[in-house]
Amino acid sequence: MFDISILKDGESARCSRCGHFLSSYRGDETSRVIAYTSSALILLALACSYPFMAFKASGLESLMTLPQTAINLWRDGMPSLALLVAAFIIFIPALVLILILALNIALLKERHYHWLRPVGRLVYTLQNWCMVEVFFIGILVSLVKVGHMATVVMGLSFWAYAAFSGFFVLSLSGLDRAQCWRRIEALNDE
Amino acid sequence: MSEVTAEIPMTAASQGLASCHICLKLAGADLHLCPRCGAALHLRKSNSIDRTLALLFTACVLYIPANMLPIMVTDQLGQPTPSTIIGGVVLLLNMGSAPIAAVIFFASVMIPSSKLLMMFYLCWSVRKGPPETLRQRTVLYRITEFIGKWSMIDVFVVAILVALINLTNLIVIHPGTATIAFAAVVMVSMLAAESFDPRLMWDQRDNNDE
Repeated sequence: MFDISILKDGESARCSRCGHFLSSYRGDETSRVIAYTSSALILLALACSYPFMAFKASGLESLMTLPQTAINLWRDGMPSLALLVAAFIIFIPALVLILILALNIALLKERHYHWLRPVGRLVYTLQNWCMVEVFFIGILVSLVKVGHMATVVMGLSFWAYAAFSGFFVLSLSGLDRAQCWRRIEALNDE
Repeated sequence: MSEVTAEIPMTAASQGLASCHICLKLAGADLHLCPRCGAALHLRKSNSIDRTLALLFTACVLYIPANMLPIMVTDQLGQPTPSTIIGGVVLLLNMGSAPIAAVIFFASVMIPSSKLLMMFYLCWSVRKGPPETLRQRTVLYRITEFIGKWSMIDVFVVAILVALINLTNLIVIHPGTATIAFAAVVMVSMLAAESFDPRLMWDQRDNNDE
């Protein structure tokens, strides 16, 4: 057992048995998370609306956008896979970000809402199913695979998605589970 | 950043307290719902080992079509060439890109299969494992938990190539049936890692001490 309320700004706690990270405390956590989350949401919107990559071979060119990774699977007769890909790289991450934003704005304003508990539960249940970083590495692997057979040009969306994955990781890792719930509990008790 | 470690290791379970899997709150194990976040509360994940093993066997079964069926079909000048995961690696080797072949072999063959083996070992070790290796086994569990979703890379690569390489009459890539099987392997093994409770291994040692 460990009482995290003794942690001071910048300190972190580890399990005495297996050494696993437990919790860390930063006084400005909420405002940081709000900044990262809103940047990530704006970048995701950008990444969805511009060309992602272009592929050129023998004078021909094909252009791809981010939603097309799912849409083309659907058209190729794999609707279930299309839905999974869209969910893992766009919809679940976007939902988690919107929920985190709502949660942290409430924590910043120190106001109690009845939806704080279900929203918090949803954030921590869905977290494992966001595959933003994995998709980004997937892009790099595809570039390596295709790079030697044709020219691939990166579009604006590619850079937006790269920055989005960075902010997404910052936003999730900035949101300390134990501290966040301690504050929700404190608001509930009032 | 300074670190604080609890000095006297006392487990919550020995005090009749259960830790909530969503919000980490410690509450009386006789409550069925967490008083802080409202999630279901268990002393240990229920039927952890049985559930994990069932999901692991499912993943093993799905792993067969994932490797036997084509993961994608390259349609070049009207000639469709299906390729499996291993086939893609062999192709890269023949083309002389050994380092890329090694990376893809590691990510799409070694990681998913060793993850399944590691989870089987962990399930077995809950009862039979030597107590000296508890810390290492816990680290092993953290590793399987962490690498879970990274196996999805292959599925994403197929999705990207299908969307990107789409020059009608010249070269078009279609997704293969193995992609769905592979996505299922990854998701089922993520659920397996989620349903395994590493604290059961430590409980076993505590029981032996008494």
